[in-house]
Amino acid sequence: MAESQLLGVVSYCKEFVEKHGNGVEVVYSLSGWLKGNPASYNIRLVSGPKLPEAKQEFDDSYSVQVYSVQACIPKDPAALWNAEFLQAEELFKQPSTIDNCLRDNRFCGILNSFIKRNVDGTSLDVSSLHHRSVVGLGPTTNLAHQSITVPQSLQNKGQQSSSKAALLSPSTEKDVKSESNGSGVHAQASKPPAAKKIPPMPVKEKKVQKDKGSSSIGGSLANLWGRASAKSKPSCPAENSNLIPNPTESSAEAQICAREAVEGVSSDDDVHDINVKRASNGEGTRKRRVVLDFSDDDEYEGAVSLASPDIVEGKSGQKLKESVDTLVPEKSNLNFDEQVEDKPKVKEEMGINKKSNQPLEEDSSVVSKDRIMGPTEKKNNCIPENDINEKDKSTKAAPDSPKRRKVLKTHIDERGREITEVISEGQETAEPKKADSGTMKADNNTVTSAVNRAPAAKKSPAVSNTGQANPTGKAANKKAGNKDPKQGNILSFFKRV
Amino acid sequence: MLELRLVQGSLLKKVLEAIKDLVNDANFDCSATGFSLQAMDSSHVALVALLLRSEGFEHYRCDRNLSMGMNLNNMAKMLRCAGNDDIITLKADDGSDTVTFMFESPTQDKISDFEMKLMDIDSEHLGIPEAEYHAIVRMPSAEFARICKDLSSIGDTVVISVTKEGVKFSTRGDIGAANIVCRQNTTVDKPEEATVIEMNEPVSLTFALRYMNSFTKATPLSNTVTISLSSELPVVVEYKIAEMGYVRFYLAPKIEEDEDDAKPE
Repeated sequence: MAESQLLGVVSYCKEFVEKHGNGVEVVYSLSGWLKGNPASYNIRLVSGPKLPEAKQEFDDSYSVQVYSVQACIPKDPAALWNAEFLQAEELFKQPSTIDNCLRDNRFCGILNSFIKRNVDGTSLDVSSLHHRSVVGLGPTTNLAHQSITVPQSLQNKGQQSSSKAALLSPSTEKDVKSESNGSGVHAQASKPPAAKKIPPMPVKEKKVQKDKGSSSIGGSLANLWGRASAKSKPSCPAENSNLIPNPTESSAEAQICAREAVEGVSSDDDVHDINVKRASNGEGTRKRRVVLDFSDDDEYEGAVSLASPDIVEGKSGQKLKESVDTLVPEKSNLNFDEQVEDKPKVKEEMGINKKSNQPLEEDSSVVSKDRIMGPTEKKNNCIPENDINEKDKSTKAAPDSPKRRKVLKTHIDERGREITEVISEGQETAEPKKADSGTMKADNNTVTSAVNRAPAAKKSPAVSNTGQANPTGKAANKKAGNKDPKQGNILSFFKRV
Repeated sequence: MLELRLVQGSLLKKVLEAIKDLVNDANFDCSATGFSLQAMDSSHVALVALLLRSEGFEHYRCDRNLSMGMNLNNMAKMLRCAGNDDIITLKADDGSDTVTFMFESPTQDKISDFEMKLMDIDSEHLGIPEAEYHAIVRMPSAEFARICKDLSSIGDTVVISVTKEGVKFSTRGDIGAANIVCRQNTTVDKPEEATVIEMNEPVSLTFALRYMNSFTKATPLSNTVTISLSSELPVVVEYKIAEMGYVRFYLAPKIEEDEDDAKPE
């Protein structure tokens, strides 16, 4: 089969190898059906000396190509498999009417009548089978993405797709449980965030659709590569997701698993499908923009639910609602506080925003672990959601106004808990008021003071500190420079000419 | 008509890299004496003064005094297109609203022209009086940069105290405190490695490390840095530009009251 061309290439490679010493050898790739029974299709890499031996194992029609000239046979066949599989998969997925380079064997120097005839014969099956998986393809990459961000983005999965949650990871059981627990309150609490989520979606949705469209129309190389990179990108933060099997490892089985999982999910319900995309997109690189939108709107609940890695949405949803409740009357009661009130809120959002944009997701995953532990350990009096928000605020406030004098205040609240607060002197007047109203509205809600509560805060201040110090550093400091009352002005030393 | 030809083009590149983070827009003033700039940062805490004397240029033509408002980031972008060995020529016509940077490769086989739009900037020129400083510290610029960088990882402010013992840089932050003392040391192989302290009276001032770190961007311009301190004046951090002039950074001190960041009640 086109033996002469092959020999040309082979001899050239052999020459090259001979010339360049024993550091390299010719690696051939053999692909074809094996002789054994049942016949199986096999692609393998074989080094020069073993070629004749390997040839024996194949049936009469197989291809021998020079794979590369390199030092040794690649140890990990996954690399080979990935390249082959992704490309072939992509090309196969295209409608059978399109003559792509796989079908017409365009890029192969060796004319091979077998390939063409094979495809024609099975094209109907192939296309019908893969039309479906074209739809599933978006989710494939997304799932890879999503599952990594699960520790962060579980927030709404509970109410959106309990079946999928169960499928994805055992940790989501909590969500499902909590859904049944606090269904009444929870529904209320979680609705606004869900609604909030929608506005920015259309843009992303479009993108996804565009992706889909292009993948079904023509498998251009750019398309292919774009997808490949989407898959490989999450593979570095992937180490952090110790809760779930990680489909982005470059092992073949894992990818197959991921695909199967997605296809299972997407066939369940189209809505789930959309949710998958949403979550993954939301957790993707574009998050910063999304959350900033919210900070413009000054939407407290929306921003929190969208950006905070909130595994225990169900449980904390209840609390969240409480906090929302207390925030709202507080605002109306204490009109004079409103100015003070608004400012920290924006800061909070920024804090969350920053946090969720940390390049290393490790930190946030630790935070989310903290949040799991928070409510279970101290279920009765700890409000994890707000605690952390407050911490965000306090840590955020610190770099914002480092020159303001900070004062540690310790007092015993009515339940006998010791509360240590770090209060910047300027805020001192505003904070106690807030605390009062908070305790009036919900007895265990001491949230509104800038809490640095000893027991609950033990771990996370450090985390949030390290998490935020870096990303906020410059911007926050710049602001601080302007505000700093101690900082002298150059104009007080030098006169204008 | 303005035409300045600077053989050591990398120098201008370094100058821009040194000041562009501190000041966004500034007027470059060209006169017979040289090419200069004075600008405050946006919060009016720091001031940068640059002088490149006319003698330092291979060719210097300035028919009349000219003030060119430039966005320093944009200028830095243009200058980044020049090679380090390139000869840079600055050209501007009277009444023109653009300035042209011409880059010639050392072998003269590549010549690039970059034209940049000028802008109108209200400049506030400050009169900086000549002053006697209580203490003047000269030390290796890299050493100073290192100190500022290290301290800024611990605290926001640095207290610079000059005593007869030496110069002490100290900071305090959430995680702890740090003190770095540099003693006078003139017994070195190379003069630029010396640390020289001239002190008339002890002085101790507090500064924002953020600005200090920004000043140290000028480190590539000079091997040594001179820090001049007086208790009632802004500190001057000066990087001399060999045979041409200087970049001086002035930084207003912080008013010291209580140093404690958090104290229990």
